[in-house]
Amino acid sequence: MATPAQAKPMSHEDHATPMDTNEKVNILMVDDQPAKLLSYEVILGDLGENLIKATSATEALEHLLKKDIAVVLTDVSMPDIDGFDLAEMIRQHPRFQKTAIIFISGVHLTDLDRVKGYRQGAVDYITVPVIPELLRAKVSIFAELHRKRRQLEVLNRQLEQRVAERTEELQERADLLELASEAIMVRDLSGTVQFWNSGAEELYGWRRDEVVGKNIHDVLRTRSTAGVNGTWQSALLASGRWEGNLIQYNRDGGEIVVASRQALKSDANGAAGAVLEINRDITATLQTEEALRKAERLAAMGRVAGIIAHEINNPLEAIINAFYLLRDHPSLDDEARIYASLGEGELLRIAHIVKQTLGFYRESQQPVPVFIPEVLNNVLELQARHLQMNRVTVETRYDGSATIYGFPAELKQVFLNLIGNAVQAMPEGGRLRLRVHQCTDPRTQLKGVAIGICDNGSGIKPEDAKRLFEPFFSTKSAKGTGLGLWISKGIIQKHEGTIQFRSVRTSRSCGTCFRIFLPEAVSREVVQAASSGDLSQSNGGARA
Amino acid sequence: MEAPVPESRSVILCVDDETVPLTLRRLVLEKSGFAVVPASSATEALDILKAQAVDLVLTDLLMPGLSGLDLARKIKERSPALPIILLSGVNEVPEDADCADLFLSKVEGPVAMLEKISEMLKKSRGTTV
Repeated sequence: MATPAQAKPMSHEDHATPMDTNEKVNILMVDDQPAKLLSYEVILGDLGENLIKATSATEALEHLLKKDIAVVLTDVSMPDIDGFDLAEMIRQHPRFQKTAIIFISGVHLTDLDRVKGYRQGAVDYITVPVIPELLRAKVSIFAELHRKRRQLEVLNRQLEQRVAERTEELQERADLLELASEAIMVRDLSGTVQFWNSGAEELYGWRRDEVVGKNIHDVLRTRSTAGVNGTWQSALLASGRWEGNLIQYNRDGGEIVVASRQALKSDANGAAGAVLEINRDITATLQTEEALRKAERLAAMGRVAGIIAHEINNPLEAIINAFYLLRDHPSLDDEARIYASLGEGELLRIAHIVKQTLGFYRESQQPVPVFIPEVLNNVLELQARHLQMNRVTVETRYDGSATIYGFPAELKQVFLNLIGNAVQAMPEGGRLRLRVHQCTDPRTQLKGVAIGICDNGSGIKPEDAKRLFEPFFSTKSAKGTGLGLWISKGIIQKHEGTIQFRSVRTSRSCGTCFRIFLPEAVSREVVQAASSGDLSQSNGGARA
Repeated sequence: MEAPVPESRSVILCVDDETVPLTLRRLVLEKSGFAVVPASSATEALDILKAQAVDLVLTDLLMPGLSGLDLARKIKERSPALPIILLSGVNEVPEDADCADLFLSKVEGPVAMLEKISEMLKKSRGTTV
């Protein structure tokens, strides 16, 4: 017999289709006397089956091996191998253990016993003289049985093939679901997970065997982005479909935003049975979009700043010159001269602000060697009066040769900004510490200079700390444009350096420390960007 | 701080397309003792240079027609030793500003401008033919 899951059947009998329900079966008649065979042939001819004659057991066996025999009709007393021996030989063959055998015998007690001995398979006997109707009846019963069995086998095989094909289809579909990078999940209406593809394993970090059977809302802690829990669920139940962004949590507790599509599956009765959920991780996309928007805003601001700077500077210079001329004009009395001088002072302030906030004024496009301690001392000189007014003591420690390649005017601007902030943070006095030493950045392995600017002023509030380097963010109430630190960070980034700060605000001590690292040499890309005069770059715009 | 007074009257060619700023700049320069020849465009400046010699050129960067840079380039072709200062309202140094001898921002103020001019004149006096 062919094994069940085989797609190609092997024996010839499978050429029969279910439609040939009336295909003839083979009936083998075995008797050493040809006359008897002939008489059986006449009796059984009406049955309409195939009648095969054999005059010996050997011949009979040959037929059996070649054809599918439904019934073997055999004389018991034959020379050489008798009917019973033949039957035994037939029964030994695994293929013929169910073949119907009808013995034709005289009524011998010993024969009857032996017939009863053949319990396996379909066995019957008929006594001599043979009654034609009886013979016909017995043969046709077995013949019909065989036919039915054959049909059943064919149908079974076809069914098995269809199941195999269908299983293969389902497996292919399951494989496709596994190929999908989206998380595909099925849950029942109460939230119990029934299906969890490898995309879901990937996205959430939970393996299939860990979540199937659990409640999906416990596992993922899903929230809608609108913040209201539950409305999307009722929307889903109401219209059978729902699409939108959801906030979920992966195994590590990390928050992810997904674009979710959900559909209600009906069961066999048409009632809502299960929910199919397909989610795509859009956290990175949203972050990138947000970053791009920020970068575009900053770049736009940089461009606008450059334009405004230029438009303001022209008339500003004219006014500054006018006040310069007024300064010592003989027609002015003392009072007028004071007014002129005050006006000139404020004009210089405007000029300074424009320079600080709307662009950088560079002396050169190539980076030059900058001795950091010199720049710091320069700034300390500029701030001398403020330091004195706020009674701030200064401690400096400059180690090593501390020289880097950079743009001195811009670095001066950074130090001016930071030292100025430090002094302003100590209106009632304090200590300003400046430290410079050579070191290697652990992350990049670049050699460079570390600069520390520390004060023991009031410190930075934690809620401000996050936003400190943002443009237009200021902790000083009225003064300050809020652009100083943003610009400073931009300049440091242009030098391929880093800037960080630490602030303490406890009852025992408070203060802030800014730490800047500047690599020794600036890479070629920075030099090229510098010489292109790209405003957005110099404002730290796109790279903030 | 008082601006330095030049030893002999140096002649400065001052170029700017805007009248009021040009006038005020000229007055500042004259107050410090310089002789000033004004021009409202690069073309006018080049014509003036054909007719007379000057000791220094102080020019605006962005002007309609030829820019201050174009002017500087043209002048250098004929008189490479003539000092040229680019004065500008932009805060960025343009790419090829190195054909001029110095780039100065307008908002540095008149004192810085006068200092730089004196410096340049001193340097060039040492090397003039």
